[in-house]
Amino acid sequence: MTAHVDAPEQGRTIASGPARRWGLGAGLVLAVALAAVVAGLSLAVGSNQLPLSTVWRGLFAPDDTFEATVIASRVPRTVLGLLVGAALAVSGALMQGITRNPLADPGLLGVNTGASAAIVAGTVAFGALGQRSIFFALPGAFVVAVVVYAIGSGRTGPTPVRLVLAGAAIGAVLSAAIQTVTLTNPEVFDSYRFWVVGSLAGRPASTVDMVWPVILVGLLAGLALGRPLNTLALGDETARAVGGNAGRTRLLGALVATLLAGAATAAVGPIAFVGLAVPHIVRTITGSDYRWLVAYCVALGPVLLLGADVIGRVVARPGELMVGVVTAFVGAPFLYVAVRRSGSGL
Amino acid sequence: MNRPTTVAEAVAEQAESAGRRGARRLLPVVDEGHLSVVGVVVPWNRRATLVVTAALVLVLTALVLSLTLGRLGVALADLPAVLRGEGSKTEHFVVFTNRLPRALVGVCAGAALGISGAIFQSVTRNPLGSPDIIGLNAGAAAGAAAVTLVWPGILPAPVGALLGGAVAVTLVLLGAGRGLQAPLRMVVIGIGVGAMSLAFVQFAITRTRREQAQEMAAWLNGSLNARSWEHVTIIAVALVVLGAAALALSRGLQQVEMGDDAAVALGVPARRVRLLAVSVGVGLAAAAVVVCGPVAFVALVAPQVARRVTGSAGPGMVAAGAAGALLLVGADLVAVHQPWFGSLPVGVLTAGIGGLYLAVLLTREWRRGTL
Repeated sequence: MTAHVDAPEQGRTIASGPARRWGLGAGLVLAVALAAVVAGLSLAVGSNQLPLSTVWRGLFAPDDTFEATVIASRVPRTVLGLLVGAALAVSGALMQGITRNPLADPGLLGVNTGASAAIVAGTVAFGALGQRSIFFALPGAFVVAVVVYAIGSGRTGPTPVRLVLAGAAIGAVLSAAIQTVTLTNPEVFDSYRFWVVGSLAGRPASTVDMVWPVILVGLLAGLALGRPLNTLALGDETARAVGGNAGRTRLLGALVATLLAGAATAAVGPIAFVGLAVPHIVRTITGSDYRWLVAYCVALGPVLLLGADVIGRVVARPGELMVGVVTAFVGAPFLYVAVRRSGSGL
Repeated sequence: MNRPTTVAEAVAEQAESAGRRGARRLLPVVDEGHLSVVGVVVPWNRRATLVVTAALVLVLTALVLSLTLGRLGVALADLPAVLRGEGSKTEHFVVFTNRLPRALVGVCAGAALGISGAIFQSVTRNPLGSPDIIGLNAGAAAGAAAVTLVWPGILPAPVGALLGGAVAVTLVLLGAGRGLQAPLRMVVIGIGVGAMSLAFVQFAITRTRREQAQEMAAWLNGSLNARSWEHVTIIAVALVVLGAAALALSRGLQQVEMGDDAAVALGVPARRVRLLAVSVGVGLAAAAVVVCGPVAFVALVAPQVARRVTGSAGPGMVAAGAAGALLLVGADLVAVHQPWFGSLPVGVLTAGIGGLYLAVLLTREWRRGTL
């Protein structure tokens, strides 16, 4: 974000003090409740529709009925949605913070595509990766993040549009490579067909085991970075003057952001726009205080992702739409919001 | 007249010597750099003519290669006979049903994309303002998918694509807020509009039967597989009509590039020229998308390559068209006949090349500090 947008919001945070803090705390509780409701919907909605009361019983007093089995089969998918939604939203918020760029998003900047390209390359080299795929996704995400940042920065430092274009360029090259490999090895990549677009459906149950420790660490680190990011938002000079270390914050932020994006991609494939949209929605509630912003992203990221997944199950009955397709449709308009917010800087 | 005494005399003398030089070249130079053909003034220069001729020879070579290469290709020596209709049944099938429509669609669609790219890059005064980057191709694809898969039977696919492309461009212009004057904003909004359009196409694909869905998925990459003479007709008619319109507009566009005030001072109605040019550009891109899917990056790369090779300012429609045709047909040849991966959709290859080109373009622009 540019300074002239931040200034009034920062002023408001300081002016309202404890009352505002209580308000934001209550809002956060509401956001968590909202996430719980959407998770409930995700368990209830599908080709076999169940009432929420049945879902409740199936979760807390499981029996041998068919409904209980249906619910149990939807639990891993829902947990995955909660984890990945939070990871992508926080990753986007961190990227927006460290690059001071309202257009940053792990999908738009090609980081997710980098992770998937690394997984596809690993599969070609070593056969089906299963749980090992995260060890390819994380370095892949990090390498692409560095390359995109280098192309997008040049000598004068990064600008929002240059970063997005660099992400588009690298993303196009990597997608072409992925397409080439997957189209010519259909039997190897049959299970990757939905994963390549981004989908919560049909992921093996072990996927949650693979990613939850990484995502949990990433989310906690993201929450801890709230205060340094606030300092960074003041500008490098001011940040140094008040005792911050801009370089260290950027490096840590980039590491955590790519960690989260890589883990999310290893779990469900490259999903764009969640990391763009959620921080922009959250900013209208919290202002630009990153301590609150990241916390709200943890709660509202899953709402967007699982909400999109539920919509995808409803609109394409009896089949379903991949969640990556729905998030593109829901999240892309936030580019418009971002452009408008960045004012004359673009 | 030894020394010109007045400005008027000096101008007259210069004009005379320019005329003499022109006469020595034995070429109908009407005014420096322009050639008048039946009342339409076309930008003209020698290097550009050479380059375009060379490009057309290469396109022709690619056409011949696309008929002769591969296991079922017709031997070069037999080709004239087969084209006259004297070959065996198999050869006839390979050439007239399978390969010639494919190659011709490639040539015409490539040319259409190249010209469309030249128009958009000219009106936005930015290489990144090209139809594939600002979401026009994706919008046209969504329009075509809407009228063929979601609400079939209301409108023909080309009309749907035209509407989709027009809606996408309108959204981008409205979203950018300052019209064509803010190309970078257009790029950002365009990425969003493009993503939404492609998501819509994916949605449309899920509503189709499996075999049709597979065909659609290939088309979505940008593919020249299974093209028929019907496709050739669509794109050829669009190219002839809209290409002529683009040519007629190109001089006006060149003046508009210098700025609205300068253009108006020269008697060029800047706003009208731009509006017409954008309409023609949308039409060309939509027609190309109908016949070969939203092929990425041809419209971005072709005009840039043309401009560099011809070394000329201005939109350079003919050169951009030739470059586009060569790019698409050449890429298709490579995609089909390369020995490593089996047959690939051409869009995968152009996306790979185009992405690299965009990365190079970006690094060069930042080194120069123009972006």
